[in-house]
This record gives sequence, structure tokens and C-alpha cells, in this order.
Amino acid sequence: MATEEHADGTEISAHLDYWVYQFDADNAFMQIHLDTMLVTLVVAGLMLGFSLWLRGRIVAGAPTGAQNAVEGLVGFVNDTVHDNFPVHNPIIAPLALTIFTFILLCNTIDLLPAYLLGHTAHLFGIEHFRPVPTNDLNLPVAMALTVFAMVLYYEFKLKPVHFMKELLLQPFASLLLDSKNPMVKLLGVALIPLNFTLKIIEEIAKPLSLSFRLFGNMFAGEVIFLLIAMLLLASSMEQLTTVGGIFAQLIGIAVGVGWSLFHMFIGLLQAFIFMILSVVYLSIAHQPVEH
Amino acid sequence: MSIDLTFVGQIIVFVTMVWVLKALLYTPINDAMANRTKKIEDGLAAASAGVEAKSIAEAEAEAAIAAAKNQAQGIVSAAERRAAEVKEESVLRARKDAAAIVDAGKEELKAEVGRARQDLRKEVASIAISAAEKIINVEIDAKRHARIIDDTISKELATA
Repeated sequence: MATEEHADGTEISAHLDYWVYQFDADNAFMQIHLDTMLVTLVVAGLMLGFSLWLRGRIVAGAPTGAQNAVEGLVGFVNDTVHDNFPVHNPIIAPLALTIFTFILLCNTIDLLPAYLLGHTAHLFGIEHFRPVPTNDLNLPVAMALTVFAMVLYYEFKLKPVHFMKELLLQPFASLLLDSKNPMVKLLGVALIPLNFTLKIIEEIAKPLSLSFRLFGNMFAGEVIFLLIAMLLLASSMEQLTTVGGIFAQLIGIAVGVGWSLFHMFIGLLQAFIFMILSVVYLSIAHQPVEH
Repeated sequence: MSIDLTFVGQIIVFVTMVWVLKALLYTPINDAMANRTKKIEDGLAAASAGVEAKSIAEAEAEAAIAAAKNQAQGIVSAAERRAAEVKEESVLRARKDAAAIVDAGKEELKAEVGRARQDLRKEVASIAISAAEKIINVEIDAKRHARIIDDTISKELATA
């Protein structure tokens, strides 16, 4: 239990372990985080149930309640996509909607008390349980790489020649290759590997920053929750019954509430940023070639 | 904190969710919104068309009323003119009739006077004869009688 680990200072790291099932103990890749998968599937199931529930009661006239809220969200996503996209692609708006709502819901789980789900899981004999799936690097990376794969797909589908040229000739070679001087031209050709490397780094940076931004924010938020809980909240009845214990408890609750509000805002902001950056990256891939 | 099979699982969950939400949430809601927008636009267009039609109809009605007023005024003034004419005519005719009646009366009066004078003359003659008969009956005195007859006759004639 948490209180027993308090003394040796391993509490926070103990709370940062996943509920893991290992298929192959020697291969670090061959394991699965059951907590992340479980929470994700629950969130997905809730969204699916909500969609089915709402679909049966969509009215043509003035919307109310849940339909009104979802219409506001869909309108907002449509506006965002419409502002960024030069052409119409029917998959982009649902993609953006899914990214936004999915990440927002996952982030919102962080508002549950830090130990609640973990301790509930302990009752079922599960040693470690991380409730917030966006804290798990796997989820942001999975989403970012899916978006990145879509970007590459559209780049190759919509403007293959232009994309290959950009990959090999930017930023150095294109001007050099236009030169009349054969030596300069040769230099341009020699610079192609450098261009390629730079361009690859540039492209890889997109999903990398996309995923680590979300992961870092949510992970830090979780750690701060755990710090507040560990440093300020009483871990035993003896602590709670002293004057300093009560005082620390009150401060801890106040700080926890404050951080919860701020973290709720961060969760919303990160969901929005992830969505808007995905839309922007995809819109860049859709930009028509300029000559 | 490592990339493992969870990553693969999350890709599957994510792609499935995009597909599911597109089919079950985004498309129905988006369709409902698009339909409503279209309905509202149609309604507004119909409303503005109605307003236009109304203003046209109002202008037409106004023109019709103005024309009717003009016509009515024409009819009234024609009727008034006709009435004045009829009045004048009847006055003239009445005046003429009155004059004719007066003339006829005057003529009749003149004839009556002439007839009365004639009757009187006849009466005078008969009186004279009766007087003469009386005188003859009372006394016959040729000289005196002649003188009396002359006097009487001359007197009667003088008065007639």
C-alpha cells in the first residue's frame, strides 16, 4: 500500500508503473499495458454508446440538450477544418472530431482523485494501475503516427513528384541545380543526401513533437497530482489528528482543487492543440503545388 | 514508459474510433445541421419572395383603387352635368307653358268681353222695343212719340 512505501520515497515511481501483461519477458516490446487498453476501451465504448443513443433521437428542428452540445462541437470542428483546408476531404472533420473528443475524455479522467482508481484496482489484486491513457506514451504516439501516416499518404497521393523533389532538393539543391555552372550543379547533386536527412528530421519532428507535447503535459500533471497527494495529504490517522496535519490537509485540498481546475484547462487545451496541429499537418499535405 | 504492443492496440482503437464516430456521430449530426441550414435558407428565401410579392400586390391594389376613384369621379361629374341640364330644360319648359297659359287666358277674356258687348247690344234693342211697345200702348202721340223714340234711340246708342 501507498503508506508503507512512503518512507523509502518510492511512492511516486510506484504510482507510475503500469498494469502490464508480458507475452515475452525477454522482449520489452512484447508486453501490453492492460490499464491503458482497458480505460481506452471503456472511453471508446462510452463514446460509441453515446453516439448510438444520440443517433436515435436526432431531431430536424431546433436541437436541445446533448444534440445541441454535439452540434456545437461538430460546427466548431467543421469551421476549423474549413478554415485550414484548400480542398474538401470528408475524412478530415471526423478525424479531428475523434482526436479532440477522445483526448479530451481521456485527459478528463485525470480529474478523478489520484489514488482512487489505483486503490480500487488494488482491491481486485492488481498491483499497478494508471488511470489516464494519455499519460501512457503509447497513446499519443499511436495517434501522432496515424496522423503522420495519413500525411505521407496524401503527400504521395496528391503530389508525388513535388513531394519527392522537396524531399531530395530542399533546402539547398534546387537553386544550385538551376545554375549553368557545372561545378555548382555537381555541388547541388552532392548535397542531396544532406537535404534528405534534413527533410526527414523535419518530417519526423512533426509526430514526435505532437505526441510528446500531449504526453509531457499530461504526465507532468499526473506527477504534480501525486506530489500534492504525497507531500500535503495525510497518509495516516495520527498525521491527520495533529494540528499541523489538519493544516497541511486543508492546504493540500486547496492546492489539489486549484491544480485540478488548471489541469482541466490544460487537458482541454492539449486536446485542442493536438486536433488543430493534425488538421494543419494534413492541410499542408493537401496544399496545391505552387509553381 | 515504453513503446510496446499497447501502441499497436492504441492505433487499432484510434482508427476504429475514427471510423465509428464518422459513421455514427459525425455524419448524422452533420447531415442534420446541413439539412436545417438548407431549410432555414429556403424559408428565408420564401419569406423574402413573399414580402416582395406582397409589396407588388399592394402597389397593384393601390393603382386599381386610384383608377376606380378616377372613374367614379368622372361618373359623378357627368351625372351632375346631366342633372343641371335636365333642371334647366324643365325650368325653360315650365316657363314656356306658363306663358302659353297666360296668353290663352287673355284671348279668352277678350272673346268674352266681345260676346258680352254683343249681348248687351241685343238687350238694349229689346229694351227699346219693349219701351216703345209700352209707349205705344199708353198714348199715341205721333210727334211726341217720334221725339221720344229718337231721344231713346240716341241715348241708348250714346251709352252703348
